[in-house]
Amino acid sequence: MSSVAENAPNSAGAKTTGQDLLTGLIPLLLQLRKLAWLIFAVTTLLFFVLRQAGDPALVLAGNDATPEQLAAIRAQFGLDRPLIIQYFSYMWNVLQFDFGKSLASAEPALGKVLDMVPRTLHLAGMAILLTATIAIPLGSWLGFKPENPERRAVSGFLFVMQGVPGFVTALVLIQVFAVNLRWLPSLGYEWFEPKTWVLPTCSLASFLFPSLTRVVAANVAEAMREDYIRTARANGASQSALLWKHAVPNALLGAAALIGTQFAALLGGSAIIETIFSWPGMGWLLLESVQTLDFPVVQALAFMIAIMVFTVNACTDLVFRFLDPRLRTKGA
Amino acid sequence: MTPASNTDAVLKIDNLALHFLGQDSIVEALKGITMEIAAGEVVGVVGESGSGKSVTALNTLRLLPRTKTRIPHGTVSVLGRDVMTLNEAELQKVRGGDVSMIFQEPMTALNPVLRVREQMFDVILRHQTISPADAEKLSLKLLSDMKIQDAERVFNAYPHELSGGMRQRVMIAMAFSCQPKLIVADEPTTALDVTVQAQILNLLRERARATKTAVMLITHDLAVVAQLCDRVYVMYKGKIVEQGLTRDVIGKPQHAYTRALLNALPEGKKPKSRLETVAASMIEGQAAVAAPVAQRTTVQAGFKLYGRATPLFEAVGATVRYPKKYNLLGRAISYQTAVNQVNLSLYEGQTLAIVGESGCGKTSFANSIVGLVPLASGELRYKGKNLRDHDELTRREVQIVFQDPQSSLDPRWPIWRIMTEPLTVGKRPSRNELRETAAGLCEMVGLDPNAIDRLPHEFSGGQRQRIAIGRALSVHPRLLLLDEPTSALDVSVQAQILNLLLDLQEKYQLSYLFISHNVAVVRHIADHVAVMYMGQVVESGESEQVLTRPTHEYTRTLMDAVPTLERAFAA
Repeated sequence: MSSVAENAPNSAGAKTTGQDLLTGLIPLLLQLRKLAWLIFAVTTLLFFVLRQAGDPALVLAGNDATPEQLAAIRAQFGLDRPLIIQYFSYMWNVLQFDFGKSLASAEPALGKVLDMVPRTLHLAGMAILLTATIAIPLGSWLGFKPENPERRAVSGFLFVMQGVPGFVTALVLIQVFAVNLRWLPSLGYEWFEPKTWVLPTCSLASFLFPSLTRVVAANVAEAMREDYIRTARANGASQSALLWKHAVPNALLGAAALIGTQFAALLGGSAIIETIFSWPGMGWLLLESVQTLDFPVVQALAFMIAIMVFTVNACTDLVFRFLDPRLRTKGA
Repeated sequence: MTPASNTDAVLKIDNLALHFLGQDSIVEALKGITMEIAAGEVVGVVGESGSGKSVTALNTLRLLPRTKTRIPHGTVSVLGRDVMTLNEAELQKVRGGDVSMIFQEPMTALNPVLRVREQMFDVILRHQTISPADAEKLSLKLLSDMKIQDAERVFNAYPHELSGGMRQRVMIAMAFSCQPKLIVADEPTTALDVTVQAQILNLLRERARATKTAVMLITHDLAVVAQLCDRVYVMYKGKIVEQGLTRDVIGKPQHAYTRALLNALPEGKKPKSRLETVAASMIEGQAAVAAPVAQRTTVQAGFKLYGRATPLFEAVGATVRYPKKYNLLGRAISYQTAVNQVNLSLYEGQTLAIVGESGCGKTSFANSIVGLVPLASGELRYKGKNLRDHDELTRREVQIVFQDPQSSLDPRWPIWRIMTEPLTVGKRPSRNELRETAAGLCEMVGLDPNAIDRLPHEFSGGQRQRIAIGRALSVHPRLLLLDEPTSALDVSVQAQILNLLLDLQEKYQLSYLFISHNVAVVRHIADHVAVMYMGQVVESGESEQVLTRPTHEYTRTLMDAVPTLERAFAA
């Protein structure tokens, strides 16, 4: 960075780099502190909410258990202790990444969740990639001349799209491409079979793509009104240079923030999409374990989702710093 | 009086009219103007906002949206080519090639995500067929021609890493990069400090002379025109009302508007005298301006005087710091001192002006008085007692009026609510009471009392500043902090506001802490002046003393940099 050279003309060497490294770590440590608070809040809240939702002993023992059997199970799992004591022992275990065993399969809950993470990331990653490749050019095109009638029509269509629930899109896609045309499978997931990826990815992308396109369009339209666009025009820049060189890079700064904040919504959407397409990921597992009141798994999932959403938001922050030179120097 | 002969005219505008097409109305921005600029000439175009001067500038390069404008008649020709008939591709060759522009706001006129290097290359490589290496050499030469010492660093910097003055130098370097025949400069120094303005204007003139480039300088500042321009056009409401050699136009103005404009300048007038305003007949919709100040006794009765023997307000070693770096726990470990050990005192019924350039700490100081930023050390005394130890009612006697009346009023509130909001703090006066008070305040500040249900956007800039002053007066203040109250306003409107402030002061014995960068305004309104530089008061005293016989070196630099009509003619 150019400003650093100005500040340190000759004192090169280990000392400066060491200090830089330390000051560079500060934002990271501050982020980790935030993450710790977030996880504390999420696990605590979830612990008490889930206890209100149902009695774990009932789930363990089954519907036709006798009161004696229930009491035995309560004693065995420590459920007969006061709630606050249970809470502390639970938090102690969470500190050691122990969420207990799945009530359904007796496997460690966290391990079960971790198995699902790559598949969900795979789906979410493809959906985001697809969204970005459509939304950025389309949004730029729309925002360049928003008054133009055909672009207005497209904007109107996107507005309607934004209101269509993702599962409707998914069902329509299945009907057309799997049932009628028989081009693609309607469910299942294979690592090496890209055919099985197409419909879930498109369905999940439909959650994010209308809003992202509209944000890019709005940002580009706004950027086109900025003074530096006028400067570029006065300097003889062509229409395409105005858009791609001057307006779009500025507009994308706003869009990057949206991808970050929408990631949580995307994970929520993946619960629906994964269930529809039997995609064995976190969303599918979440629905499955909520239905069967598999508390340990639900709690481990919440823990994992909190970490993932947080990480993505922190990464967005980094992308921002990379894209926006004004933030880049402020950090140094 | 006649401009240079037709043959070497770089720009020729002939009987040009231009209309803006609104939703259901047409605004006639230009009503048939004729203008000529010859090679090597520096020509000023003066006028107030809305006079059509910027429209003229932008239309020279056809930069106005074609769908929203209509040109009923007239031609614009650059180097003998009619710009109106060129298509977009041909225009792109003219823009930045034969004709280049410099814009007002150096903070926003450069693209924030591109380095200076990329932005200069963008222009140079578009209009010239040279290698990138040569383009770099050319850029560096252009930058050092602009007296930039470390051209290499500036060349590789992003705009936000440069000061306002440096950015404007980059803009000018870009404007000269492709040997233009004409440079259109639209208020190139309005956003800059006076000392920087002086440097930039000199550079612009020097470069234009050296390269024989014609310059069209759009400005509202007559003193700048007087110093810089060979000829001048005076515009008013879309027409050119007067033109000629600068010396003639400013020395012996013929048209009533030009005379009014010169008379509205505080410069050279007796301090605290009433300034002439551009006659109400010339500015429509401002009839309310002439309303006599203050009639209603109910509002006036609230102002209570305080003895003159001791200062009404004192700052003792006032210091304001902003955190600069943070440690691991998020606590500040190093600070930037914005206001450093400031000592000032202000007596009842007097005006103390703080003069200084941007970043000198004058606004931080004002904000600390009203409690918007905390003091790091020192004390602010009001009526001999620490301001913080006063009860709420007494603290209310200190009120502030902000710089920008466009953005400091809530756009969704009718003005009676805006003006009486301070009265509703901790109390619930009835709606009728408030409206009654607001009507009284309107009369005090020269607004129509029947207008209290209107929204801020229905008022002009000057009227909005009256609203802001009325809001401050609602709680019967003794001390008004005025943070650049006229710098966003046209000269003639500025004269009206200054007159109003002087009237109010006389009537209610108000004390003003007047913050400004405009030396002529300060000379006009202030009894005492304090000059701030880098957070410190470097000189203070009677305003006549400080402004005519400055002792500190910085004050002298500041005074020398201020463009004045007097000095322009002496030269």
